[in-house]
Amino acid sequence: MATTAAPPSTASGDLEVLSGLPAAPPSRPRVLLVGTALAATAVAMGILGMVALYLELRSQWLTSESQWLPEDTVLPLTPGNVAFLSLLMSAVTVAWAVYALRNDDRSHAYFALWWTMIFGVAAIVDTAYLWQQMNMGIGDSPQAVLIYGITGAHTAMIGAGLLFMLVMGFRALGGQLTGRAAEGVNAAALFWYVTIAVYAVIWYAIYITK
Amino acid sequence: MTVTEAPRDVLDNDADVAADTEPAPPTGLAALVGSGDPRTVGKLFVGTSLLFLLVSGVSGLLMSFELIDLDKTDNILANDVYPQVATLHSITGLFLVVLPLLLGLATAVVPLQVGASTVAFPRASAAAYWTYLVSGGLIMAAFAINGGPFGGDDSGVALFIAAMIVLLAALCTATISVVTTVLTMRAPGMTLRRTPLFSWSMVVGGTIWLLTLPILAGNLVLAYLDFTYGEQFLGGDVGLYGRIDWAFWQPTLYAFAIPALGIIADIVPVFAQRRLKQHGIAMGMIGAFAALSFGAYAQTGVALVPDAELRPWFDGSPWLFTPWVASGFAIVLPLLALLGLFGGTVSAGRMKLGSPVIFAQCAALVLLAGVAAGVLTVIKDLDLAGSMWMTAQSYTVLIGTIIAALGGLAFWAPKLYGRLLPEALGRLTATVLLVGTFVLVVPYAIAGFLDEPRPLAHETATDLSDKSTVEVLNLIAAIGGVIVLLGIVLAGLALLRTAFSKVSAADGPGDDPWAGHTLEWTTSSPPPVGNFAGLLEVTSEAPLYDARHAAASATTEASA
Repeated sequence: MATTAAPPSTASGDLEVLSGLPAAPPSRPRVLLVGTALAATAVAMGILGMVALYLELRSQWLTSESQWLPEDTVLPLTPGNVAFLSLLMSAVTVAWAVYALRNDDRSHAYFALWWTMIFGVAAIVDTAYLWQQMNMGIGDSPQAVLIYGITGAHTAMIGAGLLFMLVMGFRALGGQLTGRAAEGVNAAALFWYVTIAVYAVIWYAIYITK
Repeated sequence: MTVTEAPRDVLDNDADVAADTEPAPPTGLAALVGSGDPRTVGKLFVGTSLLFLLVSGVSGLLMSFELIDLDKTDNILANDVYPQVATLHSITGLFLVVLPLLLGLATAVVPLQVGASTVAFPRASAAAYWTYLVSGGLIMAAFAINGGPFGGDDSGVALFIAAMIVLLAALCTATISVVTTVLTMRAPGMTLRRTPLFSWSMVVGGTIWLLTLPILAGNLVLAYLDFTYGEQFLGGDVGLYGRIDWAFWQPTLYAFAIPALGIIADIVPVFAQRRLKQHGIAMGMIGAFAALSFGAYAQTGVALVPDAELRPWFDGSPWLFTPWVASGFAIVLPLLALLGLFGGTVSAGRMKLGSPVIFAQCAALVLLAGVAAGVLTVIKDLDLAGSMWMTAQSYTVLIGTIIAALGGLAFWAPKLYGRLLPEALGRLTATVLLVGTFVLVVPYAIAGFLDEPRPLAHETATDLSDKSTVEVLNLIAAIGGVIVLLGIVLAGLALLRTAFSKVSAADGPGDDPWAGHTLEWTTSSPPPVGNFAGLLEVTSEAPLYDARHAAASATTEASA
């Protein structure tokens, strides 16, 4: 094994070999879409991690107690179901928005994006109504901390999804209906689908299972 | 925020025209604060993480001195301060040093490696750094006002939790930026199969981080609500560390070492002057190591009912215990396979020595020791869980990762700083860190076999049967800690000398001082704005190595 000083630079010669090849146009496909997929995955893991802790503690609690929720707590199913239905319908409208944009159908795209945001806001309103109905303060019990923490985090995710869609909608409104802007709406739609999928888990783990 | 990198089309224009039309670039603090240049952001990450490394090192040293006399629990730190110092040491070491150091290196190097003009989402990357800096400062402030885990000040504890959540968000943002760069901004011809191994390791490692760190953040959100508004069923300030400490145990611990494997894999072939044997298998082994390091299921339990045991989630559930044991054993295999590939490459080539490869060899040795130690940890009959053995294992893996990152800094210093790291100082640093690490961890590992509990439970160590032996071991380990801290100071000095050297660019290391194999060595040192003057076509995983050998073959044929 020999100790050698750094060899003389060969990079310029190598560059000649490499740069002799034809230069392709800059390729930046799917940057926003991939970044959004990673971000959505991260956010989903954060909330699902909370749900996992919720289920673990619920399971532990039920080894010695007969019911998980405190006696005077109400967890009505209707607001949770309505929120879920709203989000499911928004999955259709956001797919409609993406489809319309791909076909340069601006009016339908705005209409679909508008309805998606209406459904998203409706889901937030439903969740807020559920909080009102629960008859439970955030500091009343471990169950309250867990439920408020998980549903609150998901509501924040819905808010982030709506904001993302609003920004991308405005960019589409600006006339960039193809290329990067269309990718932006695709990315917003992807984030929205993940938001709905996470809600499905919360709906079953908290509202249905109780 | 002003983003100072220029789009590629600007680079293709006449420089004089650009100089006439473009405003003068900001200088000084404005250039730092407003910069979205990945090299600047990466260097900021690296420099700040090394400052935090000093904090972690000093607090770790205080903790190790405290353990020398097990009869007294307030040798140099008061009883209520000791657990805060111990948690400051570990939390700073992982979340403010290891992860940001790797992310900083990746932010600066990965775009160069994959032939991109910048990092994906440069503004997000810059914002991630400043958020890291602010949240890191708030974590320090929380500890300073008697907050953090085991803190006595409620607002300090709440501040710590909130700052940790923000910090994790920042680290995730920087990770997304790096991973997206590799996935979407590679040069023409660079398939994923041809991606340089450090970049590849950031893809798989970053993915595991994005699957793991948010779970930790979710835990902390609940801990914040519980601490601030609730009944503190998650344990309040005392139980708070239980929501975090699973990140320091295997298998999650290994997730933070994944990029270290990529760094070593990029350095060794260059210094062996040989193409890495079986690049594809090396990628697969790094991927397997990453897959086996996902361990968010191995969290500490929460006692919601009075009789519940505070044992890890996997303990008691065969569905979780089995993967924990299996991953503990299996994760050695990809590491051994990688080391075998490195050995084969070295034996087939002509090894030259330099500080990067010495760092890489030291890191490989330390990481192998750490991962091998994990095999014993999962053997339940040895009863090493919760003992000093696990502390020693954490130290080994994390310090091994830091040594690898320093090797990466030495290797890519020409691209980051336009200068080489001082060679002698680099070699000395690597050696001191290697020696210090083993003097630190071997006594702690033996003490673990003698049932010494991990540092946070050291008050229970007063009735150990071999207490005097354990105290001698703790003394030796404290000396090891001093040596490691010395190594950290040497590393800081080496980087300071490199970053603030007066050497002119003309006297610098040249574009390719190591005869590198990958794209970053085709551009100047330091690279221009936009990184490359033109687009490059990649035809293999070692394009420069191939080009160099093709040129050599052509010369030989012509002379014949």
